[in-house]
Amino acid sequence: MMRLRAWSRTFGLLAPLAAIAALGWPAAARPFVAATIRGRVDVPAGSTATNGRPDVAALSMSMHDTVDRRRCVVYLDPAPRPAFDPGDEPHARMDQRNEGFVPHVLPIVVGSWVDFPNDDRTYHNVFSLSKTRPFNLGRYAAGRSKSVRFDRPGIVRVFCDIHSHMSAFIIVFAHRYFSVTDDEGRYHLGNVPPGTYNVAVWNEAHASQNRRVTVPDGGGDVEADFTLR
Amino acid sequence: MRLDRLVPLVILAALGAPGRAAAQVLPERPLTLANGQVSVSGEVTASIGPRSDPGFFDYTDYEHNALRMLRLSLSGRWRPSARLAVLAEVRTENLERPTPYALFVRVRPWKAKAFDIQAGRIPAVFGTFSRHAYGADNALIGYPLAYQYLTSLRADAIPRTADDLLIMRGRGWHDTFPLGSIAATTGQPVISAYRWDTGVEARVEKGPIEAAAALTTGTLSNPRVGDDNAGRQLSARVAWRPFVGAIVGVSAAHGEWLAGNIKNRLSMALQDRSYPQTAYGLDAEYSRGYFLARGEVIASRWTLPPLDAPQIDAPLSAMASYVEARYRLTPRFFVSGRADHLGFSDLTGHLSNNLPTPWDYPVSRVEAGGGIYLQRNLVMRAVVQRNWRDGGRVREATFVSGQVSYWF
Repeated sequence: MMRLRAWSRTFGLLAPLAAIAALGWPAAARPFVAATIRGRVDVPAGSTATNGRPDVAALSMSMHDTVDRRRCVVYLDPAPRPAFDPGDEPHARMDQRNEGFVPHVLPIVVGSWVDFPNDDRTYHNVFSLSKTRPFNLGRYAAGRSKSVRFDRPGIVRVFCDIHSHMSAFIIVFAHRYFSVTDDEGRYHLGNVPPGTYNVAVWNEAHASQNRRVTVPDGGGDVEADFTLR
Repeated sequence: MRLDRLVPLVILAALGAPGRAAAQVLPERPLTLANGQVSVSGEVTASIGPRSDPGFFDYTDYEHNALRMLRLSLSGRWRPSARLAVLAEVRTENLERPTPYALFVRVRPWKAKAFDIQAGRIPAVFGTFSRHAYGADNALIGYPLAYQYLTSLRADAIPRTADDLLIMRGRGWHDTFPLGSIAATTGQPVISAYRWDTGVEARVEKGPIEAAAALTTGTLSNPRVGDDNAGRQLSARVAWRPFVGAIVGVSAAHGEWLAGNIKNRLSMALQDRSYPQTAYGLDAEYSRGYFLARGEVIASRWTLPPLDAPQIDAPLSAMASYVEARYRLTPRFFVSGRADHLGFSDLTGHLSNNLPTPWDYPVSRVEAGGGIYLQRNLVMRAVVQRNWRDGGRVREATFVSGQVSYWF
């Protein structure tokens, strides 16, 4: 038994080395000086929108039916090859809070789990009919959470079956080169290998934009600003 | 274009959508103007059902069939501040003249307090169904009997004797009485879900308790824009949420229901009396996971003047109850069902051989069906509805109906 374990350990070390020797070093593994693509996305004023229908049948004023539509997702399209290497299965989180989804826009990488905790005192029923990942979590109470795994890249519209003004976007990427803009509209894409890329900006309310950006061999920061119309 | 051609066209147009459904091809957000202060939304509900309903089981107080109707509505909200909004809805049924269904102002005096006031043509506070009768919110296509079935009672024409009423049993779709309006027209439901009343209401929420009260011009059976009897209806509902997913509510309403032109024709002694509709309701909702169930019990009583023998010397009562449930099988598919009954108190007349007999024929209904969400705001459903009535020209009827509902 001891001999078998020792053989197994030795083979476990040698096998990958033998495979690398046979196939050659993958291009992705070559060392490079990483760069950061950073910049700012300007979104037209008035992108905080009413999300709910006129609630004519209600007896009270809805205080939660506006949504901030300024958030943008900036990403490389296509992405450098190392970005597609399989990794762990990260968990992301989309809260149901004050009758809204927080965050309203959530980019994740394929294989991620997204937890949907209910932080409100009322029921919510999170669902999506998107082709990328249809799901329906049913109604569950405050303090409880359910999770969904996203296995395909694409855009997933998320809604609440009870509160029609609640909606969100989950953008599932096949790589890790993406970023959400902050309150000031700034973004940064780190650890980008040298090369020429298409940097794309997605926003739910405005047409997407693309720009060619070249990351030099020496790395450093590359600026790319966008103005959405 | 004739309605019976238009409704299938709307359904066929929707059938073309499934392949594109995931892409959310139709708009799903309200139109917004003035930096979000103004929002406009619309709804199209096309129901295709039986070409004829000789028993008039599904006729509404607009004299349309609830299972065979094209309804277009446009809702708008102008919200100049966080605590003030003006809301309106205009709708047309079967492409007839559009009517204002709702028009009211909503005020929240204190931003931090869940206290709201609404004035104008306002949603009913009594019960629950009136506030989710829209195509998308209705679990089925038909309405509960309490909110739709036309009893033989009318506010603008009344029977002089018990026999005048007994002979009109099962004729709520088209009845006449000797006192008041001589035109033959529809009777009234226990509660009208097709019209809203005019007045002022307030709603407050504190913890698990929600309370709302309204002072309006008409009554539950006969909501009105203009006053016709110098009377007011006071209605209220108190709801309790014992735990998340459960709601229990009790409602009450009391208001003058008889039209002023009838009261003016009564003797002085009878004119001094009050002729109210008084109603009590109990509603409950429970939901968990993919399951939702609702039910209501409504007891209503109408007081009529005692005129000629055999007299109607006691208030006429009706008791309605229904329970409905919906289950989401998958993100897109759901099934739903409703069991429903409407009964009436006894009345004695020569036509009943001086034996107590219900003043209108009791009705029962079972409706079941299913549907599919083609996209989040585009639903297709189909139902089978079975009706039973204890008398009348048609005692039993089964209908099949399909519906497409789209809203933005």
